[in-house]
Parts: sequence; C-alpha cells; structure tokens
Amino acid sequence: MPFKLSEEFKTKAAHICAKYPRKDAALLPLLQELQGAAGYVAEEAMDALAQYLELPYARVKGVVTFYTMFNRAPTGKYHLQVCRNISCHMAGAPGLLAHLRAKLDITEGETTGDGLFTLSAVECLGACGSAPVMQVNEDYFENLTAEKLDALLEDLKHGKHPLKR
Amino acid sequence: MPKLTIDGKTIEVAKGATLLEAAQQLGVYIPRYCYHPKLSVSGNCRMCMVEVKKAPKLVTACSTEAAEGMIVRTDTENVKNARRDVLEFLLINHPLDCPICDQAGECGLQDYYMEYSRAKSRFPQEEKVRRGKRRAVGPHLMLDNERCVLCTRCVRFCSEVTKTSELEVMERADHSYIDLKEGRALDNGYSLNIADICPVGAFTSRDFRFKQRVWFLKKTPTVCLGCATGCLTEVHHNENTVHRIVPRPNAETNTWLCDHGRMAYRAVQAGDRLAKGVIKNGLIDLEPALREVASRIDENHASAAVLGSPWLSVEDNAALARLAADALKTENFCFDFKAEQGIKDGILINQDPAPNTAGAALIRAGRGGLTLEEFARRVADGRIKVIVTEARAAAFIKDAVKAAGARLIVFATNKAEIPAGAYATLPYACYFETPGTFVNYQGLKRRAAPAVEAREGVKPLWAMVNKLAVYSGTSLRLDCAEDALKGIEF
Repeated sequence: MPFKLSEEFKTKAAHICAKYPRKDAALLPLLQELQGAAGYVAEEAMDALAQYLELPYARVKGVVTFYTMFNRAPTGKYHLQVCRNISCHMAGAPGLLAHLRAKLDITEGETTGDGLFTLSAVECLGACGSAPVMQVNEDYFENLTAEKLDALLEDLKHGKHPLKR
Repeated sequence: MPKLTIDGKTIEVAKGATLLEAAQQLGVYIPRYCYHPKLSVSGNCRMCMVEVKKAPKLVTACSTEAAEGMIVRTDTENVKNARRDVLEFLLINHPLDCPICDQAGECGLQDYYMEYSRAKSRFPQEEKVRRGKRRAVGPHLMLDNERCVLCTRCVRFCSEVTKTSELEVMERADHSYIDLKEGRALDNGYSLNIADICPVGAFTSRDFRFKQRVWFLKKTPTVCLGCATGCLTEVHHNENTVHRIVPRPNAETNTWLCDHGRMAYRAVQAGDRLAKGVIKNGLIDLEPALREVASRIDENHASAAVLGSPWLSVEDNAALARLAADALKTENFCFDFKAEQGIKDGILINQDPAPNTAGAALIRAGRGGLTLEEFARRVADGRIKVIVTEARAAAFIKDAVKAAGARLIVFATNKAEIPAGAYATLPYACYFETPGTFVNYQGLKRRAAPAVEAREGVKPLWAMVNKLAVYSGTSLRLDCAEDALKGIEF
C-alpha cells in the first residue's frame, strides 16, 4: 500500500515549516512527528516526506539513519536504548548491554517475543556526567548498575514505572 | 589582497582564497581527499592539515581562508605526524585488497601512504569493519563501500554538478557508507566523473575495470567529438587499443566529461569497423571500390556533387572542397550546416550533436558553395545525381536522395553508420587514428590527436579523397592534411 501523509500531518507540518526560513529546515521536527504518530519512520514515509519537503530521498534517509533516535521498524512497548559512547563505555555500558542481551535473550535491534522490549545500542545521549545511561522510550535512567537494571525491568514488566510515553 | 607566507615563500592571493589554493599557486602540494577545486569545501578528510603560526592547533588548509600576515608551514614534524595519523585512521577499516583493486596505481591511499606514512598499522586485520563489497550502481559504476574513505566528493558531485542528489552518506561514524535509494540507478549522464574524482577504489568504472593496469596506459591529449562543445580530453591507450577517455580540465569548456563522450572510443575498436569498401551490401577491396566509385562519378560528371560534413575535421572538409572544385569541377558542393548551438543541459552537452559545424563554416567562408536548402533542392529535382559525402551528413539530405533516387557515395568508419540505400561506402581513419582540427561552439580551434594506428590500408579521409581524384583522372596533390587548407582563412 503506498504511504500517504495524512491531512492532519500536513496541517501540522505547514505550521512547523512556517517557523523556519526554509522548508527543508523542518526535516527533523517532521521526522519526529512521523515517529510520534507511528512509532517509527517507515521507508515509504521517508519517500513521502522527501517529496513533501522537496528534498532528495537520499538526504532524508541519510538523516534518519544518522540519528539513533529514529526507529526504522516498529519497536516493542519499551525501547531500551543503551548508550555506547565513550563515557558510558568506560563506566560499564558493554557489561549492561551483555546483561540485557542475556536476560532478555535478544541482541541489539531485536524485540522480545512478548513484544515488551526492544534493545538498541545508541550514540551519545548527552548525559556523560551520570554514565552509564539508558533511555527507555523518552525517559533517562542514569548511573545504572546490573541490579538497578533488573529492578527497572521488573517494574516495567508489571507496569509499575510511569513513563512519559 | 592578503599576503601570507607558506614554507618561507611569500605570496599575495585574492581575498577569500584558501590556504590550499594559495599553496597550490606557490607550487606547494598539500595532500587532500575531500577537497576538489570544482566542488564545495567539506573539510572532512583532515588530510590537508597545516601549521599556522599562533594558531593553537593544526588547521585544514582547504577550509581556512588566507589572511594578511599568516605564516604557514606544511613541512613541520607536527604536520607530518598529523598526516601519518590521519592515514592510520583512514586505513583502520580499509580492506587492503590492492592486488584485486582496479584503482591500484592511481589510488590516493596508496600514493599518500608511500609519500607520507609508511607506518605499520596497529590495528589487526580481523577486527576491521566490513561493509558492502562490489555492487553495480547504474550502468557505468561499481561501488565498493569497504574501500570508501567517506570524503563525500561523489555526494557533492551529484548534488552540486548534476543536481540529481542520488547519493548520501548513510548511518553514522564507523557504520557510515555511501548509498542511494534502493532500486534507483546512478545514471545521470555524468556518472563516470564519479569514478574519476573518487580518490580511492570505492567507485570504479564498469567499462574500464580490469581492462588494463593504469601504469601501462599511454596518454594522448585530444578533443571530444561527441558534440559541438568540444571538451578537451585525454585518451588512455596501450598496445594500439583505446581503454578509456578522461577529461582534461580547462577554464574554457570543461572540468568534467559526459558518459556519452567517454564511450565514444568504443566505435574505434568495434566489430563493425570498416577496413574495406562496400558496394551496395557487399564488401569489396579498397582499390576496386575506389575504381567503381570513380567510374560512377565520371559517368555522371556534370551532375556529381560533394556535401561536406560537420562530423569531419576542417582538413578533411577542405579536401572534400578540393575534390569538388578541382576534380569534379562543379559548383555543386555544400559546407553549409546550421544547428542550434549552446549547452542544453546546463553542464556540457550541446544542442548541436556534431563537433565541427563551426569548422565547416570556415570552409564555406573560404570556398563558397551552395546553401543546404539549395543543395537538397538540386538533389530533389535531379540536377545532382551522384553525391559524395560523409555517412552522418547524408541524413541532412535523406528525403531528397530517397525521393529522387540519387546515388549516395559515403565515407564511413563503421558499418552501423552507413545510411540506408547508400550505393558505395569508403572507409577512412577516425580521429582516434589521425589528426584533425575541430572548431567548437565557442569558436575555439581544437586539435584531435591520434592515439592509435588505423588498421592496415585504412587511410585518413583526405588521403582517400586524393586517391579518388586520381582514379577519376585529376591529381589534387594532397600529401598531408594541411595541403587542402590553402586559401582558407584559418
């Protein structure tokens, strides 16, 4: 089925574009809109957005793939994003990732069978002061240890931890 | 106009000039991957680092504007170390598959490594990041992402020169690679320039790959005859075979060269290349072919005519003019070709597909002759019954020839060129095999130089004309191409 930008999206997009001197400057906020609506940015959505913003498709794809914040496929209910950059790396992120892989029995980019968790290793989350850091959906969890992780996963599983989204 | 010192030499450069450009003017070479004089500055490869006095750290010469009183050094230990380190970084994930890489011999990584590094890598082969190996992208290019150093010259070429923006850097950091939309072909009419500007073996030409190691190639500077733009080119050949054509960048016409122009060499060594004459559809040795043509001309002496060609050199057109004036002694000749001139795609390709329309006009100015309309009229009403011309020029009078049933005697290099219904065809040496002068749409006279030798017996067109005249009883005394030019303002 060919992807079509919804009328609702287009209204919002026109509003966002108006904030910038050039239409193509709205690329990032519009990608966020798309991801907000669908949970991920599909290949066809990139194509439609490229046409809407009169940008080459490759440019849109390049931006989407550059930022680890954009998902290119649907994720589980909780998207676990472990920072893999230098501060977190030195503070033990590889160990956390290994722990999560073992516990959830998935590798980076995969989702658990129950559809609850998706695991990703992402680029710097900008919270080096409290490394190691993991972002779950839109929330940050800092100064993590294996124990804290286990407790967090339990909470999430039972819906005890309120997340922004 | 800032004045600065580079490696002890002082130079004044235009405002806005970069350190790299200033150094170039002084003859100081600064290594670079991402910088290209005709593309925007990207500053990502870090190979052009230089030391500027009082600057806290090294700066990239390609993106730093020259300023008054700057003291720049490109030869300090600091700079040398930086170059070595940048190369070590670039080579971390490079596959080092030089023995099977067609870029070897003209590779920026090889050359700079030998010049600036020669250090042993501290990164073991097993841990290299693997990326996509060879894959065809479009009709002309092969892409090997593993060899790429991400200089983005190709990305900028597609967005700035052809404005087609097919390519982009995908992903991030050490996962990055060059890619285009799935299913889309990189075919913008200028795609082979990407193989030229790619400093490494990431983009290679599908046509040239594995034909020849580049160090065996001999280079002949010449001109492209693909259209009236007349780009300056260089023919790369070895052992009498042309392997590729690359542009010779110049201020007047071209930095780049279109894919069509680059493929022009294929006709030279194509299977349908003519070495003998053709009468109707049968191949026949050259001498009997000439004798046959001469007797057809002689029996219609009063109604024989010559039509020049915008695809032929000035010299060969002049020889045809001599054939008309001195051998056929007729006024039925024409060097009048009009074609819309001018770049049609905003890059290089001309509206006029013939390379020498302006050159033919010089012959008309010197020798006169009929207009093309008048010539066609005389063919149509039967005043002209036998026409000597060049194969592609015959298309100008195609309808009149067909309607009147005139006899067409054409010069052609390849069988595919022969127009339908031609009575006789004589072969001649193409301009990869014989010299010739061409005048491009700007009026610039440019010389085609021979890169390879013609097949035995195949002569330049002026020599064929000379022979033909002898067969029909007149000597034009043409001993070289220039002999025909006497009396032509040139």
